[in-house]
Amino acid sequence: MSQFIVRIEGLHKSFGSLEVLKGVDLEVTKGEVVVILGPSGSGKSTMLRCINKLEQPTAGKIFLEEIEITDPKTNINEVREQIGMVFQSFNLFPHLTAKGNVMLAQRKVLKRSKAEAERIATEQLDKVGLGDRADYFPSQLSGGQQQRVAIARALAMDPHVMLFDEVTSALDPELVRGVLDVMKQLAAGGMTMLVVTHEMGFARDVASRAVFMDGGVIVEQGTPQEVFDNPQHERTKDFLGHIS
Amino acid sequence: MGKRRILRSAAAALLAAALYVGIAVPAFALTDAKVTLDQETGGQPTRFTFVATTDADAAISSIDITFPKGYNLGAMKFDVVTLEGLKRIKNNPTGVAEGTTLKVKFDPQILPNSNLRIQIYNVMTPIKGGTHTLKLAYSAETTNPVPATVQRTGETAPYSYATPPIEEAISRWLDQQGPVKSWNGVKALGMFFKPQLIVTSIPLLFSGWLMALSLVAFGFPLAIFGGLSISFMKMSKVPPVRWIASIYINVIRGTPLFLQIFVVFLGLRIAGLRASDFVSAVAVLAVNSSAYLAEIFRAGIQSISKGQFEAASSLGMTYWQSMRYVIIPQTVKRVLPTMTSEFILLFKDTALFAAVGIFELMMYGNNYVARVANLTPYVVAAGYYLIVTIPLINIVGRLEAKLAQSEHGQAPPEKKNRRSGLFWRPASAGPESEYQASAAVHESERWRP
Repeated sequence: MSQFIVRIEGLHKSFGSLEVLKGVDLEVTKGEVVVILGPSGSGKSTMLRCINKLEQPTAGKIFLEEIEITDPKTNINEVREQIGMVFQSFNLFPHLTAKGNVMLAQRKVLKRSKAEAERIATEQLDKVGLGDRADYFPSQLSGGQQQRVAIARALAMDPHVMLFDEVTSALDPELVRGVLDVMKQLAAGGMTMLVVTHEMGFARDVASRAVFMDGGVIVEQGTPQEVFDNPQHERTKDFLGHIS
Repeated sequence: MGKRRILRSAAAALLAAALYVGIAVPAFALTDAKVTLDQETGGQPTRFTFVATTDADAAISSIDITFPKGYNLGAMKFDVVTLEGLKRIKNNPTGVAEGTTLKVKFDPQILPNSNLRIQIYNVMTPIKGGTHTLKLAYSAETTNPVPATVQRTGETAPYSYATPPIEEAISRWLDQQGPVKSWNGVKALGMFFKPQLIVTSIPLLFSGWLMALSLVAFGFPLAIFGGLSISFMKMSKVPPVRWIASIYINVIRGTPLFLQIFVVFLGLRIAGLRASDFVSAVAVLAVNSSAYLAEIFRAGIQSISKGQFEAASSLGMTYWQSMRYVIIPQTVKRVLPTMTSEFILLFKDTALFAAVGIFELMMYGNNYVARVANLTPYVVAAGYYLIVTIPLINIVGRLEAKLAQSEHGQAPPEKKNRRSGLFWRPASAGPESEYQASAAVHESERWRP
């Protein structure tokens, strides 16, 4: 039994003539919090989106536990149930309440009963601190609250791994903290997470591994301390120099 | 045996004697009296034609013709034609109307064996129809059995006409009203807004209105179904399916509905397919409108942010689940205003079916206009269209305002615009044009999940 949750082998992705990923290899073991850093255009979001096939890889293999996601015979919808994803732009369903958002896929995909879906939705919303906002529509919530509902929505599916794609980038600075707190709590609970972010503080405090990507490849990786305090690669130093 | 024959002869003689006594007085100085009317319903000026023949033994010097109660002879005129054989005789008739009785005197008198025809014009009949009778009274000079002047009364000539429908009755009543006459005296008013014709057009055109409504009532739901299917075809991953949808949409939207109507109506007949006119018409509407709705739906679906689909997919929902529970519910709200506008267009376009003989509003309007040489029926037809379209136009305005509010988080509109009803529409061009712009953007992106 391998202990990795996600394994990426030689992942390539091109958009037309533009090659965004030029051979990425990555293994994520259970309970790891992997923070992916890199300048914009380095392919970090694309890599994340390949993991649940929102982008179709051009070449390479991706495994979720024993299942090969990139195998055309794999039912991608069944795999996606197990991969929670949170987006930069929240993508809540605007016609449903917070609770409705958390319940929909539970009902339609996992075929949970209404009562059970409702119970889990309430539980998850409580966890992200929005128990009192269950009946609000997304348009009535702040960006930070919307993002926390989105996290609750993903968690309600009992995913084996969570993907976070620059989830705080679209938020006003004062709303970022609430979302990061939820993510910290999640990490502390043992959730396996892949996090694309620019929040260096979060990366330092929470990540078990930091991965630096540039030009479509992984340039350097290691513990946050290794990568932040003692970067080996010139491009990593350059990037960190620009941010801090 | 002989005895019987004698008895029988005696009876015959008695009968003959009795008959002789009867003939001794001029029993029928006027025979075959008949009345015909030139109008079949009451309540309007009517020409009565009275025809009779004078007997061989009597000459007529005067006739009184009495109409039943309720007739109006105020505007009455009459003329008399007398024919003796084929020769026209001048009898210098003079006559006056007294109440409901027309009294005509002849000088010289009308000779025996003449044909008499009296035409009485402009007799105002009562509204209520049925079988009425004219009462006749006349003085005749007879030579049989002895020369004498006799006055005869109590003869009748029956005729009948029908009670007009209520709108006819109202219209005829209006004919008599002074203000109505002055109104119609103004040419523009009388030509477009003649009250009498408004009254008669309303019930006449009503069935045309029902026809137009039922055409869209059947056609539009079919078009929604067809449009949705075609919009999904247009977004298909399979190129030939996409092409078929594109060709369909472009051909239908690129040709006039009028032409499509003729192609279907004549085409089906030439092909020997027996579809009723109604079914054909519904089919044309469905085919035509589905092309427009397909584009409306596609633009609506593609105007939903791609992230919505990604979020649904990332939760493990299938393409159709995402469509059904995430994309379509949001699309409905966005396309509702445009869809309602399309419904309005379709409803108005039913007028084109007049060209192929469907009895809808326009057809009734055309026929009636041709009959009365007045444009008022068109105005009434316009009214029937507006009864449907104005509330819908209003609804479109409200939907657009609501949509703008929900999508752009605008403050709720102030209540003072409650009158924003009949003829004024909230200025909400903003969201619609934005929506169309975003639809155009998405079209160029050609998003296909």
